[in-house]
Amino acid sequence: MKKIVAAALMAAAAGLYAIPATAQEDGLSLEGKTIGVAVVGTQHFWDREAFNGATTTVEELGGTVVPVDGGRDNQVHADNHDVLLNRGVDAVISILGDGAVEPKFEALKSAGIPVFTVDHPSPYSTNNTTSDNYTMGTTIGRYMADAIGGKGKVAVFNAFEESLRICGIRTGLWKYVLQDYPEIEIIQPELAEEFANAPEDARRQTLDLLSQYPEGTIDAIHVGCWDQPAIGIVQALEETGRTEIKVTALDGGPETLEIMAEEGSPFVANVAQQPYLIGATSAENVARYFAGEELLPQTYVDVMPVNGPEEARQAYEDLGYGSLN
Amino acid sequence: MLSRSIARHRLMAELVGFLPLIIFLALLTYVGLNAPNFMTLFNLKLVLMQSLPVVLLVTGLSAVVMAGGDDVVSGGIDLSIPATAVLCAGITAVLLASGLSLFVASLAALAAALAAGAVNAVLITRLRMTPLLTTLAMFVALVGINNMVTSRRRINLTDGHIGLLREDFVFGIPLGIVIVALVVLVAYHLLHRTRWGLNLQAAGGSRDAAEISGLKVDRLVAQSYLLAAFMGFLTGFFVLARGNGYSPGVENNLMLEMVLANFLGAAFSPRRVVTMWGAVLGAVLVAAISIGLKTIGVNVFWTDLVKGALILVVVALSAISQRVQ
Repeated sequence: MKKIVAAALMAAAAGLYAIPATAQEDGLSLEGKTIGVAVVGTQHFWDREAFNGATTTVEELGGTVVPVDGGRDNQVHADNHDVLLNRGVDAVISILGDGAVEPKFEALKSAGIPVFTVDHPSPYSTNNTTSDNYTMGTTIGRYMADAIGGKGKVAVFNAFEESLRICGIRTGLWKYVLQDYPEIEIIQPELAEEFANAPEDARRQTLDLLSQYPEGTIDAIHVGCWDQPAIGIVQALEETGRTEIKVTALDGGPETLEIMAEEGSPFVANVAQQPYLIGATSAENVARYFAGEELLPQTYVDVMPVNGPEEARQAYEDLGYGSLN
Repeated sequence: MLSRSIARHRLMAELVGFLPLIIFLALLTYVGLNAPNFMTLFNLKLVLMQSLPVVLLVTGLSAVVMAGGDDVVSGGIDLSIPATAVLCAGITAVLLASGLSLFVASLAALAAALAAGAVNAVLITRLRMTPLLTTLAMFVALVGINNMVTSRRRINLTDGHIGLLREDFVFGIPLGIVIVALVVLVAYHLLHRTRWGLNLQAAGGSRDAAEISGLKVDRLVAQSYLLAAFMGFLTGFFVLARGNGYSPGVENNLMLEMVLANFLGAAFSPRRVVTMWGAVLGAVLVAAISIGLKTIGVNVFWTDLVKGALILVVVALSAISQRVQ
């Protein structure tokens, strides 16, 4: 059964990776167009991969890229859109960001420059390319509940549920699934992770949490929207010898898949995304827009549920990160 | 023969002293000629708008440096102003979101800022703690308090008045630029045209001489920290306007830019000392170069390297110039 699932995943991944080639076969082109690509930061794998996917694809389609990086500061990221507006680009691909970007999107739209967002639904966006966040939220809810036998206390890092729509979907659906597990209790208050220094911050907060909850009083720690904090959480659990606590998160970057792949790892479940493909798909959507195609408001890119070390190793390989065997 | 050698030496010192300005102007010219739409009024507005928070911060910092002397380690410095600004933004955002009026929220933020300034003043003038370490510790403490206040969450702007700071006011000039220009002019008058300002400079120039001549140096230094905290309070509104609300993690970038602009400004002063005008000019130039590099389309992985190298060169030349003189 596992082989069938793995084969299906590989086929799906192969199919998805084939999209750029298909795009070129479709005759899509950005020849003569200048496309601004604004990314909130390039420190984290996900952001960097989405950025690389967008910029490489724009160039492959014949366009010129004007790249700007917010350095993981949402205000700098928002300001960078003003620079692109003044630069007079033909379109903007905006990767992540919080509410600070909305007035900038509005200004770009008013100036006749279409905005294509990545993981940021906005009323001013022509199209938003994103993962299937609905599947991510429900799947991780089920996996986490299974990992702790359907009962116990769970701490959650959840800084972005109310401020970022994608995080609202993921965390909201995780909580929705947990409604069917009345014996699972979410520890209050919820924890809030830092944006810029996530692993170290989460490590410190987890150590504080563990000092408040002695052995046997906490069963899992979940990160509501991404997986960088999970790196620090696992470090804290290993430092204190509390690896009986299960860790779950979302994104499935190579660093966290590596941690998951270790035998006996407390990091038990994840849902992997394909950030490079998301960035590339957004760039193709820009080309489709200029070719006169009608775009849907949202383009969803498939995700890959990862449950346990064996699937982590398989996902690592399927996503093209190399081999962990 | 000796006099000719001295004259040549002085000429050399003058030339080295002017090199930072020459380098900046050369780079600006290069950027201006190569970056599309750089030499436009819109871009000038953009540069000024993006530099507003840093301009306010360096105005406060330059007062502290003037009063305490410009030795980075033992002189006057206040690294906590960006954290004060972000704390004020956080308090204002939280109180506005909870339904309180802008007036009440502003009063609470002002009280917090002045309390931070007063604590700095007491620790430095009464306990004789080093300003660098004291204000760095205060920075960390204020960030911690802010994390408690905001729960490290994004808070969208709910009051339209603050948003007006980024809207056009008259002849296409945003209200924010008008207000900051007025604040800078008032600060200039206060620091350079009043007896208090001259006493402040005398205290920083030579503490012993100032004390012998009857000046109450500790009181002046304490007042400079309160002024800096007040500038932090004002900056808080611009942080909120710029980000369309409160976004966590803004303080680090602000601190870096504030320190850079302040000491870069010294390179433009004939005596290589920190001045308010030099610091303000430094803030605007840092924003201009930053926008110029982005507009040209410099690889995002190289931008920080280019900026950092440029600053190192300017500061090194400033040091060489001082030594030659």
